Amino acid sequence: MALYKSYSKNEKGKQYLRNGLIMTLLAILALATLFPIYYMIMSSFGAPVESGAASYSLIMKNPTLDSYKFFFAYSKYSLRWILNSFIVAGAVTVSNVIFATAAGYAFSKLRFAGNKLLFSLLLVAMMIPYQVTQVPLYILVVNVLKIDNTYTALIAPGLVSAYNVFLAKQFIGSLPTEIIEASKIEGCSQFKLLTKIIMPLSKTVMAVMAINTFMNSWNTFFWPFLVTKTENMQTIQVGLKNFSFANTTYFAPMMAGATVSALPMFILFFMLQKYFLEGVTVGAVKG
Amino acid sequence: MNKVKNTSLHARKKRKLTNESIWGYIFILAPLLVFLLFTLYPILDAFIISFQKFKPLKTEWVGLENYTKTFKSSLFYQSLINTVVYTGITVPLSMLMSFVISILIVPLTKKKQNFFKAAYYLPAIASGVALSFVWKWIYDPLPSGLLNRLVSFFGVDNQNWLGSSNTAMFSLILMALLSSHGSTIIIYIAALLGIDNSYYESADIDGATFFEKIRYIVLPLVKPTTVFLLITSVIGSFQVFQNAYLMTGGGPDNKTTMVGLLIFNNAFKYFEYGQASAQALILTVIIGIFTFVQFKITGDNVEY
Amino acid sequence: MKQLKKGVAILLVMVMSLMAFTGCKKENAANDGNNDSTQKPTTTTAPNTDAQPTAEAAEPDTITVLLPPVSPTYQDYFDEWAKEFNELYPNLTLNIEAASWEDVGQKLDVQVQAGSPPDIAFVGAGSISKYIDTGLLVDISDYATEEMLNDFDQNILNYYRNGDGLYGMPAYAEVHGIGGNREMLEKAGIDWRKVQQEGWTFEEFREAIKKGVVKEGDTTKTYGFVFACSGVTAADYLNIFVKNAGMPDIFTKDLKYAYTSKNFLKLLEAMRTLIDDGSMPKELSSIDAGKRWNMFLTGQTMITGKGLSVFERSAKLNNDKIDANDGSAVEGSIKADYIILPVPTFFGNPMQAAGAIDGYVMFRGKEEPKAEHLSNVAKAMYFLASGEIAAITCNDLYISPVCQTGKDAMANVEKPEGKNEDNTKAAERLVSMISAARTDITPELGAKAQRIADEVMVPKFQALLANEITPQQMYDAVKQAAIEAFGEDGIVVD
Repeated sequence: MALYKSYSKNEKGKQYLRNGLIMTLLAILALATLFPIYYMIMSSFGAPVESGAASYSLIMKNPTLDSYKFFFAYSKYSLRWILNSFIVAGAVTVSNVIFATAAGYAFSKLRFAGNKLLFSLLLVAMMIPYQVTQVPLYILVVNVLKIDNTYTALIAPGLVSAYNVFLAKQFIGSLPTEIIEASKIEGCSQFKLLTKIIMPLSKTVMAVMAINTFMNSWNTFFWPFLVTKTENMQTIQVGLKNFSFANTTYFAPMMAGATVSALPMFILFFMLQKYFLEGVTVGAVKG
Repeated sequence: MNKVKNTSLHARKKRKLTNESIWGYIFILAPLLVFLLFTLYPILDAFIISFQKFKPLKTEWVGLENYTKTFKSSLFYQSLINTVVYTGITVPLSMLMSFVISILIVPLTKKKQNFFKAAYYLPAIASGVALSFVWKWIYDPLPSGLLNRLVSFFGVDNQNWLGSSNTAMFSLILMALLSSHGSTIIIYIAALLGIDNSYYESADIDGATFFEKIRYIVLPLVKPTTVFLLITSVIGSFQVFQNAYLMTGGGPDNKTTMVGLLIFNNAFKYFEYGQASAQALILTVIIGIFTFVQFKITGDNVEY
Repeated sequence: MKQLKKGVAILLVMVMSLMAFTGCKKENAANDGNNDSTQKPTTTTAPNTDAQPTAEAAEPDTITVLLPPVSPTYQDYFDEWAKEFNELYPNLTLNIEAASWEDVGQKLDVQVQAGSPPDIAFVGAGSISKYIDTGLLVDISDYATEEMLNDFDQNILNYYRNGDGLYGMPAYAEVHGIGGNREMLEKAGIDWRKVQQEGWTFEEFREAIKKGVVKEGDTTKTYGFVFACSGVTAADYLNIFVKNAGMPDIFTKDLKYAYTSKNFLKLLEAMRTLIDDGSMPKELSSIDAGKRWNMFLTGQTMITGKGLSVFERSAKLNNDKIDANDGSAVEGSIKADYIILPVPTFFGNPMQAAGAIDGYVMFRGKEEPKAEHLSNVAKAMYFLASGEIAAITCNDLYISPVCQTGKDAMANVEKPEGKNEDNTKAAERLVSMISAARTDITPELGAKAQRIADEVMVPKFQALLANEITPQQMYDAVKQAAIEAFGEDGIVVD
């Protein structure tokens, strides 16, 4: 990356010093942000006991896997919850990446009547506090469409979000228009243009969209909680809440569940990482 | 192929559906349908309800009462001020932090990049339950609290972080700053990686310094990203209510009551769904104005 | 790119096939749990009339129930209860859905607003008024039999009355009080048995918790008293104490707002002195329920609130872990026996225990329900609120049932080991002192008072605890809000 000054060979010391400073700064900040995750994992190795309070301890004592066993034994649906979350988040992610990229391309590069108006409408959708749309949405899904306790109810409202359309629009909008014009001249149809030119160039933002959408969907609690009626349809976030009672909580098993539920995201992150590690630049494609 | 271009131009003039616009509509069809069904319908419903005293069985029309009540409520103004203060501090600081961190991560070797990206992003996967326990511990008001242990190290007295009106808002802001930039950083890095090296190379030839490169190359080129993050963060921050709901309950003395919390309480605690809808729509208009102003100031190509 | 596309395609296919696969599984699972009835479990579905013309009294019906984990083992019994109920009424199916305490209310609220609540929900007697206001809460007096209603302690049952209507059946009555660490109480020279039996005045209480304070230099090692006051829980502290200051209810007998009485100001001053004495931490306003229980177990406080009978169990569980010495006890905890204590009385007013009465209520949907369905629901309600289930629930919570059949069934339930008999007696005595139910406070008055509580009282009280305003300032703010809401004539002036 040539944003930074590249040092010549005899200045290597300076470069190390600079990178060392950067690393230290980043590491200190990272420690602060990593703390909750450390706490979650550490607590998950505690004993599966009912307690009135969380653990206030920084160090792991007598680590045991009992809470993990307890988590899976607690409900016969423990694994099912994770599977459900995977199905919902997977479907939502795939549809978001595809549809939001297409829409982002259309809004940023294509001319059609109502382009700006429709986009503004989408933005307004983001601005309405969800507290007031929750009940009408519930009425629609449960009373009108009668699809409660199904995957459709869990997935459909999240199929494509205004947030992702906006993100795709901003990224694709900054791609040079000449490439598109050139491909058009070569006789590319719009569909081909999207799949052969725009999408390869938008790989980075698509990967970002994928991981963010998956994460959000995976962490969503309230909507799945509202529209599921039986334990076998619950997602992991809903299931985890079953571990807290009125005055007591199975704290360690809950943390074990949270840790288990974080694993798929962990894996997805590293799977997708190579896509947002290397930026795709127009120059790279051209050359 | 010239012919193709000509006809499309011709058609556009005639305001007929061009090939391009047909594809445009096809590409936005999915979001539009989802929007119409799952967003527009609830919004229209909320709009209608805002003129009603909503009851599941029989609903009365009350005209503008829900709006006038809201405008007369001093608590609404106070919570609006709280929300604006919270947003005004959290959003710029959080974006600045994310931008700086992204800039710092980018020059590292791939392995180190990987590590730090994961370190900043992965905390988001810790479940909300774990996060809320951790933050309660951090803000534990007794000397055993993590933050109190930290400040006592610097000789500062024990603080009642969430319980005192001097520090409650600060505590919520700090929490927002330290727990919410994973996705912002990832998006910024994606934008930074999209900048073609040739820009820097020509800048190097001109002898540009690091800060000049940031000023004249990086900032202009990541502007669409900045606009996106700014607008979505402001929207999100205006709607915030979870933190106040869980951490302070709006106290002390309503110093941390957010508009989102009022809306939530009206909708569910008091079953005043009409008033909740009215407040939500007022908030939406305010957010809309802020968004419009941001688009104008940043001069983005969107005409809103 | 090719790889990415391939990956996306594979993921898509995977998701699709998984959906198809699990879709089938789901249906099977649903059928398994539903052998007895082919009816879809919806609240408004009319019974299938042409199915069995001969057995009109026994038309099949499904009753939906939404329940929190009322007691530690409560949810484990759901399948068993549904089965027992079906054996009792072969034409009826009980469909129980569980949700955690924190969230169950919100799910119910969305369902109520949407006009499609479950038939039975678990709602505290204190919050029925907002549901009455929706018109969806069913007056059960027409559907529950005399025999069912006579089973309950009448004062407790009356908590579910409003105006002429009866809206629920109690599952239990619990007293919100305070509780102490036995060893520390004794060390501080407090005769806790006497306090349990006779109560104590504020002055006695104040001196007692002063004695409980242990200091090491300038830092307090043990406080005399800690009450969870963070966020909305501050309301509990005030609500429990105000009952013993001559204001058993927000409204007086002639329906005037009570908290504008001079006694309220005096109470606030008294509560403030406990912090000024150093008996309570000055950071009280942000100590949450988890933290104060941790403080109790680790010996950082002698008395804690709010207290429930079941805390004896939590403390005992931790003591056992300390004995087992396997590192699973709460970090830094000491052995602590939990002693139930009454809230002190103020200014010579009589003891009025703060009753927390929770139970089952009946909802209808948007469509006009059939009377027969509602009587079926009443049967299910009574099934849940009485007899064996009441015994199991209350036994779990270390309290006594509030219905005769439940008390009788206690004989068949295995009592917790080593239960403190003094606590049992104290709890019984406190339950008998639960203030009389108020059926005359209209939902509208109740809603106004609730709004003052949320928007003025609790925020100001938190500020008072944080020493940011004086008792007088808080009193003035509450009074002003009360005048705005109820008018000059609607409040107590003394």
